[in-house]
Amino acid sequence: MKKHLLRQIASAGIAAVMAASALVTTVSADEPYDVYNYNYLGEAVPSQAGYLAERSVSGLDLGTTALKAPSDLFKDIDNNFYIVDSGNNRILKINPEFTEVLEILDTFTMPDGSKTTLKNPKGIYVSPDTGLIYIADNENSRALVVDADLKVQMEIVKPTSTVYDQALTFLPQKILCDNAGNVYIVLNNTTKGAAMFDRNGEFIGYYGANAVAATAEVIANHFWNAIASEEEKKYRARSTPTAFDNFDIDITKGFIYTSTSSGSTDTDIVKKVNPEGHNLFSHMSNFMWGDLFSTWYSGTTYKTKIVDIDIGDDGSINCLDATTGRVFQYDEEASLLFIMGTIGEQVGAFSSGGVVAVETMGENCESVLVLDATKGTVTIFEQTVFGGIVHDATALYNGGYYEEALDPWLEVLKRDGNYRRAYLGIASAYYNMGQYQDAMEYAKKADASGRYNKAFERYRSEFLKANLTWILVAVVALFVVWQVAKRLLKKRRDAKLAAAAAVPVPKTPEEE
Amino acid sequence: MLDLTQPQFVKHAIFHPFEGFEDLRWKKAGKLSYTFIIIFFLFLSMIAYDRWCGFQFRPLPDAMFSVVPYIMMSVVYFGAWVIGNWSVCTLLDGEGTMKNICIYSSYALIPYIVATFIEVVLSHILIQDEQVFFTTVYYIGLIWSGMLLFSAIKAVHQYTFTKTVIAIVLTLIAMLIILFLAVLLLSLFQNFYVFVYSIYTEILYRVRV
Repeated sequence: MKKHLLRQIASAGIAAVMAASALVTTVSADEPYDVYNYNYLGEAVPSQAGYLAERSVSGLDLGTTALKAPSDLFKDIDNNFYIVDSGNNRILKINPEFTEVLEILDTFTMPDGSKTTLKNPKGIYVSPDTGLIYIADNENSRALVVDADLKVQMEIVKPTSTVYDQALTFLPQKILCDNAGNVYIVLNNTTKGAAMFDRNGEFIGYYGANAVAATAEVIANHFWNAIASEEEKKYRARSTPTAFDNFDIDITKGFIYTSTSSGSTDTDIVKKVNPEGHNLFSHMSNFMWGDLFSTWYSGTTYKTKIVDIDIGDDGSINCLDATTGRVFQYDEEASLLFIMGTIGEQVGAFSSGGVVAVETMGENCESVLVLDATKGTVTIFEQTVFGGIVHDATALYNGGYYEEALDPWLEVLKRDGNYRRAYLGIASAYYNMGQYQDAMEYAKKADASGRYNKAFERYRSEFLKANLTWILVAVVALFVVWQVAKRLLKKRRDAKLAAAAAVPVPKTPEEE
Repeated sequence: MLDLTQPQFVKHAIFHPFEGFEDLRWKKAGKLSYTFIIIFFLFLSMIAYDRWCGFQFRPLPDAMFSVVPYIMMSVVYFGAWVIGNWSVCTLLDGEGTMKNICIYSSYALIPYIVATFIEVVLSHILIQDEQVFFTTVYYIGLIWSGMLLFSAIKAVHQYTFTKTVIAIVLTLIAMLIILFLAVLLLSLFQNFYVFVYSIYTEILYRVRV
């Protein structure tokens, strides 16, 4: 009988485990990869998906021929998309729903009336102010500025200035323009930064170069250069930084974000450059963007290689990793929000090393679009409910509305108890609301000792204010009791000693 | 003179760093059972310091707890100290027995243990800005225990100042050697275990097939 019962319990347990595992598989079956996020210790922990891959769109789906090695994806202020279809020497303008081609840009009218075509274009930018289209026309060694009627307004060619080394080619890779009309062009042959042109196409100089990473070799070089003679210095290797190879502009604030895909550096992978050329992320130049760990597999190291960066309308920083096919979405303070994508064949998966561009759409980053050059498709990720709540909470939190962010953060925790930033947000909210004990509890759960300390300080001062009288009374009372007890004990001992002295006791052998 | 009970002797040794242990030796006082209790409290204090401190001072996540390092830091280090000191000082004409080295060294650790427990309590009262009090207590405990340990070794072997310094340095080297050998021995045992186990599985397969 007892054995029977045991068997029943065991089979019930197995059934429960199986049901639970079935549940887990159904949950993660929505996307072809395990969704994860990083915790305080930098360990990857399972997480809820903030985005799900909805569909993948090829050139044929858009009603045109297949894309051939496309290299850039861009969204203008009216939410129209542009795909730079490099292999077909054309640019496709696509409607906001991403269902059909609105216009094919491949032939432009020069100011003198002649026609001109593109040759392996690499980058595009559409100015939100003027509506001018900026095209990095790579193999024609020029950048075109075109108006909406496809009339060329300006042609930027290789500068004749002595600042520009005339031995170098001029092959524009990426292009953008700031609010003042200055044009920035990423070239693939210089580490000095992006070439910068004024609104008339005059070369001004270089902008936003990466800093030289302070490796042991660089420091040693610096030392030897300091003691070398002028003659020797000529033959010594120079320390040069790696070049950034993609960028995006936050049009509302005017910052240019650069991304570096070079595998030979770990510093300045993502920079936030102000109009003066200063990197506002320089304090976190060693920050690990993308995956925190590189994988070593049969002789090759696979580490994050950020090939494109996009600043969402809400200020989020979206980094595209070509190694793993993942998009890493950060908020404006560079805290990791979501990770999506993988290498594979399904929707939401990309060809190995094939992804080239990422773009976001919506006030709250409702969609993330990834361009895969090898597959020739654009994959559209849509925000989940969870993703929406996190974005709401993040926006409120970063805006300083801690108390308003409390409810969304609590909702986030209901859906994903591993989401560390929710604990931080709740701790801040309770701190502002004066609920210091709750703030301490959540700061502890977030492993944030600094925040815990702040909440504890306030809690302690409140506690002391309320109870100081009683604490003082208790201390005085304890002191008095102690003193009295001491005297009483001493009296008793003295009496004992006196009694012992009065009657001499013969010593026992042990005491000798 | 000095007709003290055992607990009073402990107090006497702690509060008289220069002649406390000499008196202990003269009176042949000190109990080995106290050593075990003290080392147990050393072990407890280390765990308390890491686990029960206020979160503002020791933000260690719960997931990382293992009891083995604490046993290592208390029992094993103390054992290595006693054995190392005994081995060195036997060669250096020390008069201390293994038992006395155990007893005196453990008595010397008491200020450090007490200071650790005081730190644990303080950590729940202080904030990060007041960390100086926390560290002060720590250093008082550490230096006091260090002085006591020095005087304990000096008394137990009846050494001069210089000889004690030499003995302590040599003891530290001996500890390193002992720990190194222990690690070597452990890995040897592990290899041996794996070897025996693989033979066992091999035989098991052959028998079955």
